[in-house]
Amino acid sequence: MVSQAIQPKRNRITQWLAADTMEGIRRQRALLGYLFIAPSIIGLLIFIIGPMIATFALSFFKWNVFRPPEFINFENFTRLFSDPRVFTAFRNTFLLVIMTVVMLEILALALALSVHRLASRPLSYFFRTSYFLPVLLSGAAVAVTLGYMFHRDFGVINYYLGLLGIPKISWLTDSNVVLWSVSLTTVWRNLGFTFIIYLGGVSSLPTEILEAAQVDGAYGWRRLKSVVLPLLSPTILFATVTDIIKMLQFFDEPFIMTRGGPGDASRTVVMLMYENAFGNLAFGYGSAIALILFAVILLVTGIQFALSRRWVFYS
Amino acid sequence: MTTKISRREMLKLTAASAVAMSTGLVSSTKIFAAPPGQDTITLRFQENEQYYAEVVEAFKQQFPNVNIEYVTVTGIDHAEVASKILSQLAAGTPVDIGYAATEATQLYAGEGLALPLTQRVLDSKEELAEYFADVSPVLTETMMYEGDLYQLPRDFNAANMYFNTELLAKAGLEMPPAEWTKDDFVEYARAMTGIDGSYGYGWTNRLWGSWTPWFFVNNTNFLVEERAPGGEWMWETFYADDPKAQGRGGGWRWPAPQANNPEMLEALEFVVSLTRDGLTPEVGMGTGETLTGFFTSGKLGMTPAGGFWSGNLYNQGMPKDAFDVQFWPAWKSQRHQLGVGAAWILNGSQHEDEAWEFVKFTTKKEIMEICGLFNPVTLTTPVRRSMNNEERYSVTGPANWQVFYATLDERPDTGPIPAPVFSIEMTDIYTRFTGLAVNGDMTPKEALDGMQAELEALYARQ
Amino acid sequence: MATHSSAWSNRLSRTIPRKPGDWVRLLFLFVIAVLTLMPLVWVVSTSLRQPIESFSVPPEWIPVDMDFSNYNEVFERIPFWSQMTNSFIITITVVAGQIVTASLAGYAFARLRFPGRNFLFWMVLATMMIPGQATIIPVFILISRGLGINDTLWALIIPSLSTAFGIFLLRQYFLQIPGDFEEAAMIDGANQWQIFRQIYFPLASPGLAILAVLTFNAKWNDYFTPLVFMNTKDRFPITLGIVDLKGYMATGSISVVLAGIVLSTIPVIIIYIFGQRYLIEGLMMGGIKG
Repeated sequence: MVSQAIQPKRNRITQWLAADTMEGIRRQRALLGYLFIAPSIIGLLIFIIGPMIATFALSFFKWNVFRPPEFINFENFTRLFSDPRVFTAFRNTFLLVIMTVVMLEILALALALSVHRLASRPLSYFFRTSYFLPVLLSGAAVAVTLGYMFHRDFGVINYYLGLLGIPKISWLTDSNVVLWSVSLTTVWRNLGFTFIIYLGGVSSLPTEILEAAQVDGAYGWRRLKSVVLPLLSPTILFATVTDIIKMLQFFDEPFIMTRGGPGDASRTVVMLMYENAFGNLAFGYGSAIALILFAVILLVTGIQFALSRRWVFYS
Repeated sequence: MTTKISRREMLKLTAASAVAMSTGLVSSTKIFAAPPGQDTITLRFQENEQYYAEVVEAFKQQFPNVNIEYVTVTGIDHAEVASKILSQLAAGTPVDIGYAATEATQLYAGEGLALPLTQRVLDSKEELAEYFADVSPVLTETMMYEGDLYQLPRDFNAANMYFNTELLAKAGLEMPPAEWTKDDFVEYARAMTGIDGSYGYGWTNRLWGSWTPWFFVNNTNFLVEERAPGGEWMWETFYADDPKAQGRGGGWRWPAPQANNPEMLEALEFVVSLTRDGLTPEVGMGTGETLTGFFTSGKLGMTPAGGFWSGNLYNQGMPKDAFDVQFWPAWKSQRHQLGVGAAWILNGSQHEDEAWEFVKFTTKKEIMEICGLFNPVTLTTPVRRSMNNEERYSVTGPANWQVFYATLDERPDTGPIPAPVFSIEMTDIYTRFTGLAVNGDMTPKEALDGMQAELEALYARQ
Repeated sequence: MATHSSAWSNRLSRTIPRKPGDWVRLLFLFVIAVLTLMPLVWVVSTSLRQPIESFSVPPEWIPVDMDFSNYNEVFERIPFWSQMTNSFIITITVVAGQIVTASLAGYAFARLRFPGRNFLFWMVLATMMIPGQATIIPVFILISRGLGINDTLWALIIPSLSTAFGIFLLRQYFLQIPGDFEEAAMIDGANQWQIFRQIYFPLASPGLAILAVLTFNAKWNDYFTPLVFMNTKDRFPITLGIVDLKGYMATGSISVVLAGIVLSTIPVIIIYIFGQRYLIEGLMMGGIKG
């Protein structure tokens, strides 16, 4: 391509994309840009955006698969906003997200800092592996397993708590406890992954800065707060965003462990949507719920990014 | 104002595309790909090959030009299976022969998905006479909808009471007689509670089983029960000599909710008191395998289950004399609740005739005998009276196996769990408020009032 | 990374904690490790017990007489090996596909300028927020009626090949790599493709590793999509097979289900053991930023 520069006759396209002018390089890169994003964008259009538009359209219909769809304007949305169950499902989802993400981030960060600080090689290997093992199980398998273990009267967990003198806890049937059970289950399965991300972040902290901080007399909490956390903020942002998005789409664990019960105490938005669409064959209403969830996720992520500009520290 | 117009236009556009898309879908349920060969046709059959391999082999010897393709649908209950089938239909990849239990019978029939079999049954009168003579009219009536028959019953399960006989012996008790009562039951439950951490009675929150048997014996239901008119063709043709077919109609109707009537309240207060008194362990949302696990581990004295438990308990290593079965205890009546399962044929299938031949074929006694669901062990109760015999239960138990069919023959007022066209949504309401009453979040009265209000809203939406 | 040489002696001195605070930390690590491992041990030990002993109290952690019949049962009830193979084919194809599509797009969004870039990137971000369950019906219709690949492994592969999350993730990584490399390479006469393939792609390997692991994890464990798309037992991925183990209308035994879970997890653990060095070091390399 470079040798083309000396040829007097160049065809139009190579001339337009000539690598020996800034303009040509710029055009080359733009073309490459389109080529590079094409497979992804086409895939997203066909399999996510298109279907999402179909979902949007469906939310104005009453449709149960068998009868022709009936246009009902905003009726699904009127019903949705007056349905207290929708409100409960959103509240549960938010609580679950907050509880789970807070526990996950704090625990994972504490584990990462501790492992990094004191574990020798074999010990560190042991800890890493044990924390990571649950990640290798599917959400469905974990929910099935912990569902058995959480049983109030026959479960292993209450048996051991009983030995410690703690009275039986209705993990799955007490409305005030059930979100914790679902959340703990999710934390148990996802902790290892978030931990590894943080361990990566902690290990890459520049040693010189940490040592300098110690020389300055910053130890313990103060060092954590004023030096370590700011340096880790990009990692924290990444882990939190991915965890929040994962948790907003909560399904397998509550669906398998409690079926949303007792009452609606552990029903999440995605469950409510799934049950309406596939259970009650209210595809229009289900689509309307999906649409609202989408709007909420979009809003939450927007806020998160806006806030992160204020606290994330890029060195 | 321009924005307003364009917005409206956009809405119209999306609406139009949705209609186009979905009408395509609706019509798709009637459109099928051409059969692969000219002579051979393929039936898509919603079943597990494991249970049907021998049946299909026998069928192919008689109908070599019909090929059977299995559509495996996994699901932890009938509702989940039905949801899956419905999404298959929505996407235009239907089955020719489906399987549905009571939970979905009226759903498929009411939506016009299942083919009414009335005329075909009448046309095969001679061939089917022996079958119906062997099948209780209770079961046949359950498979009817608005006067037509939609399914030929294959298996059924009424909720009887299972006993862990080891706990029974430790409590110093014998199996109760057939006419035992609710009060006897409480004494049994009390006696079997607390032996090595056991509980007298356990159940799980769902539609079948659950606490449904209790309001059945209290002579009520959370929906008003009615018999649809019609169905004389069935009773006159096949059950003319059977006194138990007297007064039957064209299938069940559930025209209105009545969840908060006094008998319902009485029944719910009773099951809640069992939990409160510590005779029942935590009641979870029900998928059967935990209940099975607790029962086989000797944690439960009694639990509701049907004939399907015999083979399954045996498979899990429970000796045949370690459990037994009795009628549900009597209260105001001894009416049992049951569910029936059978194949249905897709309305509009290109191979309706072949599908009908196959369905008819599977009702023959010698064919049912080789079906993997009944052989080598009984994974669900066969609908034929003659197949519920000593030999069938000799390996697996229980000793009192006669109860399974006697529930139909001696308690002919036994009826199906309520399952109208919208049974999936109804079940959700039922289990949700049941859970809230049993865990104490609501009093039984509040729970039933709530259940009634939501059921009324559900009926209003139909 | 410059501290590698002194790391060994540092680590050695850390093996035995000296300060009381370090003992507290070590205790904390052990407690969490025990809590993490306990359910796994329970799964394994219950899978080795007769079903009628599955809820014995106190829990027997080490089954006295090991009973492998639950494991035999797994092979009798489901075509275990075909389902495992299916899971591997699906997962590996999707991981490879996502790495290709996401690294290309992530690179383009991070380093190439073209009209509409910001708009398209926001579209990708928005796409990331759409829950898979929200679009399952239209996607299913497309798969079965549009493409006719319902009930084949393609149905589980093709819709997953492009990923908004992967693009977002890799864009972050490409953004962190300094731009000086590019200028140097151009002076050496490398073209745009070579700059991507030979310089930036390898430098993004920590991001690629995370994407690969996340995708592997999500796809391997996916239960919902195959539940809707697949009908033929031999074409199921193993997640559906496990639920199938619950038996006819969930009358099976939990010990067999747990045995299935153990069996299906063993290969993943093996992969993890061999791959963890790469995974962890990949993550540590994430330290090269700005």
